Order: sequence, then structure tokens, then C-alpha cells
Amino acid sequence: MKLFSRLVHPYVVWISIFVLAPMLLIVLYATTTSGNGTLTLQFTADNFIRFFSDELFINVLINSLEIAVITTLICIAIGYPAAYFISKMNAKQGAILILLITLPMLINMLVRTNAWIGILSDNGVINNVLGFFGFEEVKMMYTRFAVILGMVYNFVPFMILQIHASLSKMDKSLVEASNDLGANRMQTFLKITLPLSMPGVISGITLVFLPAVSSFFIPKLLGGGSELLIGNLIETYFITTGDWNFGSAISLIMAIIIMFSMYLTKKVDKGGRD
Amino acid sequence: MKNKVIVAISLCLCVGLVFAGMKIFDKGTSGEVDPMEVYGCDTLNVYNWGEYVGENTIEDFEKEYNVKVNYTLFGSNEEMYTKLLGGDKYDILIPSDYMIERLMNEDMLAPLDLSLIPNIDGLHPSVVGLDYDPENTYSVPYFWGSVGIVYDTTVVSQEDVESQGFNVFKNPKYAGEVYLYDSERDSFMMALKALGYSMNTSDLDEINEAYEWLLEVKEATDPVFAQDEIIDGMSTGAKALGIIYSGDAAYIQSVNENIAYFEPKEGTNIWSDGMVIPKNSTCGLLAHEFINYNLEYDVAYNNSDMVGYTASLEEAKTALENGTYDGISAYQPRENYEDDEVFRDNPDMKTVFSELWIKVKAAS
Amino acid sequence: MKSKLNLRKVYLTILMLFFYLPILYMIIFSFNSSKSLTKFTGFSLEWYESLFTNSTMIEAIYYTIIIAVIATVVSTIVGTLACIGLSKSRKILKRFVEQVNQLPILNPEIVTAIGLMLFFASLNIEKGFLTLLLSHIVFCIPYVMLSVAPRIRKLDPNLLDAAMDLGASPSYALVKVIVPQLMPGIIAGALIAFTMSFDDFVISYFVTGNGVNNISIMVYTMSKRVNPTINALSTLIVVTIAMVMFVYYIFDKKSKVEKK
Repeated sequence: MKLFSRLVHPYVVWISIFVLAPMLLIVLYATTTSGNGTLTLQFTADNFIRFFSDELFINVLINSLEIAVITTLICIAIGYPAAYFISKMNAKQGAILILLITLPMLINMLVRTNAWIGILSDNGVINNVLGFFGFEEVKMMYTRFAVILGMVYNFVPFMILQIHASLSKMDKSLVEASNDLGANRMQTFLKITLPLSMPGVISGITLVFLPAVSSFFIPKLLGGGSELLIGNLIETYFITTGDWNFGSAISLIMAIIIMFSMYLTKKVDKGGRD
Repeated sequence: MKNKVIVAISLCLCVGLVFAGMKIFDKGTSGEVDPMEVYGCDTLNVYNWGEYVGENTIEDFEKEYNVKVNYTLFGSNEEMYTKLLGGDKYDILIPSDYMIERLMNEDMLAPLDLSLIPNIDGLHPSVVGLDYDPENTYSVPYFWGSVGIVYDTTVVSQEDVESQGFNVFKNPKYAGEVYLYDSERDSFMMALKALGYSMNTSDLDEINEAYEWLLEVKEATDPVFAQDEIIDGMSTGAKALGIIYSGDAAYIQSVNENIAYFEPKEGTNIWSDGMVIPKNSTCGLLAHEFINYNLEYDVAYNNSDMVGYTASLEEAKTALENGTYDGISAYQPRENYEDDEVFRDNPDMKTVFSELWIKVKAAS
Repeated sequence: MKSKLNLRKVYLTILMLFFYLPILYMIIFSFNSSKSLTKFTGFSLEWYESLFTNSTMIEAIYYTIIIAVIATVVSTIVGTLACIGLSKSRKILKRFVEQVNQLPILNPEIVTAIGLMLFFASLNIEKGFLTLLLSHIVFCIPYVMLSVAPRIRKLDPNLLDAAMDLGASPSYALVKVIVPQLMPGIIAGALIAFTMSFDDFVISYFVTGNGVNNISIMVYTMSKRVNPTINALSTLIVVTIAMVMFVYYIFDKKSKVEKK
């Protein structure tokens, strides 16, 4: 079907212009000496050496990966059952639920996050309710818990949408066949439904994990500076310090590490299936 | 079914579009003056801080001069500077002192024609001819103030604050009650001042000492590093002690009477935000009119009344001190105190400060 | 069977509570009489009033919706077609596009933002509506493609051949045979694209100019001080969409009854 393969050509041109060209600028900044606005074109590896010679930066990167992994796992744990249940409902109710899940995402992230501050803070909703029942105050704001909660809240709709898209319109005859052959519900789920939904789960992981690693508003607002993540670091270097060269280098290092690990995961995934 | 989802989505969109379509029909022109003839342009691009202007200031200017103002906002000096590097064109910027100095040093500002800004004579003496721009060649102050300690008098003892100054943030008695700015500039200012050094120092030993000081603060009171959440947090009593810009303190004091504002004896940062015209502005004459307009009594009064930051126009400041902000100590920043300083642009130290600040935040 | 139904209901109810707790909180504080976002001092409509008298804000709503609609439509069509094309492409091209596609999702927004800002600046393109729209399409397409891709992998390759053997033209086969199979993924992608565009701040901020602002830019730059106007606006958005959904639901029910 060579005919259809041509459909991708305009898009290749598009990403070359609007994704690769700007990225090339970032690569240039990462590999040159300081100079904002104007590129110096004096090439150097200093920015990369600086990153890897300081334990601090590496710790921040590890911390970010850790939080992103936890967030992704929680999103799968919450999102999979939700998507599964929704896909079992009749089509119309399911559609309404999917829209209901999407609706909060239209509200500005800052507004949503501010609401969480009000809910989680020491004199906030949850602590007031706890206090009413005579429980002790729990410190939730400005902790890792708050940061992860904020991320899960923000990203779990992506996971649900992706898994739901792969579960809905699934070939029901497969499930029926499996049942006819005497498999119980658990077996059917593990042998039929789960493998069929895997591509959706992988898309979901991509959509949760990648933005979670580099997220920056949520740790800033809910972490109160207690959780320093790579996104905050990059933002600091780009805006506050105005050191675009080092900022670019950090983001490049992060991008390479993550893309490489995603690539490996896919390789392993494929290897397992063959 | 999926078609119906699409129908539903498009319905949403239609309603939204109709709702949004009700936009601005009302911008009729009064048609008396032709701004193109008088100023050579009819659109003014103004770039200012968010929430930093009176309710009708911009609209009234548009009506009075029969022009359109593109009013754009920034959240920090650095954000504004980054946008400028991206080649954006503005006719008026309102950055802070050190940023004005940087823009001057980088030759990005156009000199002002002070004869077009007669209202400049009414400026408060504390903001005329500041160190970075002694002749007001490039900038005219808009708001000004100090940085100080804001505290809840029902929780924090006045004596502690006044005797310890910025060191009160190291007082374990107030652990868990402290807000600090997530900003290397303000944090190192506070640390250097607490240690009795100049906040514009380039001495690495002093800076390292300040870094240690900040680590001790973190250890002792586990402060929350925040930004504008401090305003709401202090107003509602979520926490009891913090560092703050005087203008924000004035707002907090006006809604919560238990709040006091104190400028430490070791000295602090006296800051000002000024109106400047970038070199690439193509609407200079009108920009001068805009600067002059903001120094008219009514305009300066309304701006300051609305925002709570101290007016640069002396008359407006005096009126508000005895009016809206009567009894609000933060509205009247300290004047002529010898240990107070103004931030200077110091490009060489930028990286040092930010790296140390990242280390402070990463420390546990 | 009964118990399972209940489990499903309980789970989804709890999930919805989680999703709507902050929304409810936000709605309540849009009626607050003081500026605070954490302490309710009394009921007032002040923030709704200030929303409707703020012409910059209304302009921002207008731009947000226009940009989000166009960006969603364009990125959904382009993304879906590109995805279909990609499935029939050589492996090397496929891998290349898949990797590059991850960049806008993976990069911190500030990096994409600065990259695009410099890119537009170096081409001397004046910033404004067009640059904003282009940038939104740039970061929306990868989301669409990631959503469509899993469905494509499940597509039966013989389906297309069968359709063509039966005399369908390629474009007919595309629209009538392939696209319906991909629909769940396309819808998920469009929804995500729409919300991403609707709620984007960082990239929008650095690529726009000339007074073109969206809601997010207003929110972030206004939040220098607390300002519940934005709660009022968000409440209106939620209520409007909820109402449309409700009307649709009722209308749909009726039409079904009539059919019977």
C-alpha cells in the first residue's frame, strides 16, 4: 500500500520544520559557550561535564525519575480498572463518563492546583474534616505526597482515555470464545483482554511518564520547594539564571536518557513477544 | 455512538463560540484626535507586571488618546527579559531597578525626553535619580517599596522579630510557620543583610557564608519556598511569619489586622519598578505620553489604591497614607536609612547565586 | 453479577469524587466575597461581575476557544493521516517519526517554548495569532498520533485489500473502512489535543505577541496576586459544558423514545 504511505510525507516535512529545527537550536545551545539570544558557535562539552561532575544534578534527575515512575504506576493502578469498567458500560453512559473525566482538564492547571492547596493545607478541607472527627492534623501540603497526588490528578485522565480507546470496540467474539472454551473470567481477562489492551497501556505510560518527568508547576506549587525536580532545574536555568546553554544541556541529557530507556523497553517488549 | 460524541463535543464548542463571540463590539472611536497624525502610531504595546494597574487606567488612556493599548503581563523580570530576547517589540516596559540597569548596560533602552514628561517633577524624592539611573535618563519610577518581614502578631512575638531581624527565620520556635521566597535574589539579600554584608557583594567568602546561613534557616524552621501563595497564606493565617514585598504586605495588612510589617535594622532592599521605553519601540511619542499619564495625580492614585504598592508620585502617596492605607505601616517604606540598598545588576555573580540557591533547595 | 455491578459503581463514584473535589472547591470559592482562595468569608458575585467587565479577559476566552478548536481539528486530521501513512512506511522512517514525535511531549515545556520562540525570531516571523496557532498544532499532533497508533496496530491488514478488491477507491476505503476502525483512538486523541491546547501556558506565553493572549496566560500572569475572577471563569466553563452534556443527554433519550 505505497499509496497510503505517502500520507506521512507532509508530516515529515512538518516535524522537520517545527520540531527538529527548534530542537537543533537547543542542541546548538547545549554544545556552545555562553551567549543568550545570539549563538556563539564556540563548541564545548563543558555543559555536559558540568552536569555529570556534580552529584547534585544527578540526584535531581534520579529524584525526578523516581517520582515519575511512582506517578505512572499509580496512574495505571487507578486508570486501568476505570477504563475497564467504562468499556463494559453501554456506549452512551461510557461516552458521558469519558467526557466527565476530560472536563476537569479544561480547567486551568493553576486553578486546579490552587484548589488542591486549599484542600490539603494544614487548615484546609481534609484537616478540618479530620479535626471534626477528633483525628490529629496530618501534614500533607509541601510534601512528596502532595506532589505525587497533584501529578496523578493531572495525568490520570490521559491513562484512562488511552486504555479505554484500546478496550472499546474490542472484538467481543474473542471474549465469548474464551468463555465458551471454559475459561473463567480471570483467565479470560489475563489471556484475552489484557494483551489486547497493552498498546493502549503503553501509549498511556508514554503520555503520563514523559510529562511527569519534566513537570515543573506542580512540584513548585504543591512541593513548596521541597521537591526539586529536573523540570524546575531547567526552568531555573532558562529563565531565572538566563543560562540557556546549560539549561539546554540538561534537557538534552534528560531527553537522551529517557528516549534511550523507552527504546530499550520497546525492544524488550518486542523480544518477549516474539 | 461515536458520532454522537462528536455531535456532543461540537455542541459544546458552538455554545462556547457563541459565548466568546459576544466579545468587544463596543470599542467605538471618539474620533476627535487622529493619533496617527499626532504620534505617528495608534497602538501602544505595554508590558507590565500582572495585577499592577488601576482598574480603569488602561481603558481611560485608550479613550483619552483615542488609541489601542495592547496590555501584556509578565510574572518576573527574567520572564520579561527572555521575551525581549525572543525579539518581541514593546513600547513600554515596567521592570525593576536591577533589570533596568541590565537593559541599560545592554543598550536596549531609548533615552527619555524629559521635556515630554512634565509630571516627573512630582516624583517622591526617594525615587528620583536612583543609583543606576542618576539623571532619570532612561527610567521613571512607577511603584516602589521595601522588602521586610511580615508576621502574625498573635503567634509571633514582636520582640523576637524586632530584635532578631532576618535571623528570626532561624528561630526554631517558629518551625513550620515560615514562608520564604523561592527566589535566589531575595533569599541571598536576606542572608547577606542578616550577616551585615552588602547585598550587592561579589566577595565569594561572604556569599558562601550567606549560603551557610540559608542552610541553617532550612534546618531550623523548615520554611516553605513559595511565591505569591505567601499573600493568601498570610492573609488567612495559614502560616505566621514570612518575607515579603511591602506592597503585598500592605494588602495583607488591609485584610488581616493582626499582621505587622517590619523592616530589619540590618538594612533591607529598597526596590522600585520603573517605566522605560525599549530601543526598538516605534511609538516613542505616545510612550512618553503614557509615562506622563501615569504620573497624573488621579491615575497614580488609582493605580496605587488598587494594587497596594507605594505610588512614586509624592502627592498620591501622601493622599493614600491618610486615606485608604491609613495605619497600614507597609505602605510607607523606610526612607534614607543608611543600611538599605538598591539592587545592582551583577551579571558575573548570577550563576554563582543560582547554583547555590539550587543547592539550598536540594538540601534536606 | 450483582456484586460486580456494585463494585463498578462504587469505584467510578469514588473516582469521580476525586476528579470533582477540586472543581467543587473552585466553584465555591468563585462566590467568595474576599480575594482569598483558602478562606471563605461570605457569598458574593463580585468576581463574575469583574469577569464580564474585563475586556482583555473576554478577548482571551475568544482566542483560547478559536485556537483550541482549529488546533484540535487540524492536528486530529493531520495526526490520523500521518499515523495511517506511517503504518505503511518503511521501518526506518517509522522509527524516525516515532522518536521525533516524542520530543514535544518529553521536553519540558520551557524548552519547546524557547526553541519555537527562537525559531520564529530567527525567521523574522512576527509573533501573534499565527505563531500561537502553529505552536499549538505542533505540540498537539504527537498526542493524537500516540492515541491513534494503538488502534492502527490492531487493524486487520486484509481489511483494506478487501475493500479495494470490492472496488472502493483509496480515499473511499480510507474514510469508510479505516477511519471508523480507528475512531476510539481518534476521539481520545482529539480530546487530549483539545485540553492540551486549551490549558497551555508556557509555550503560548513565549510564542505569542501583539496582545494575543489566551486564558492560561491571563491566569498565570494575573496570579501575581490572588484573583478569584479566574475561578468564576472556570466555573462558567464547567457549567456550560455540563449543561450542553445534560441537554444532549435528555434530547438523545427523547429521540430514542420517539423512535420506539
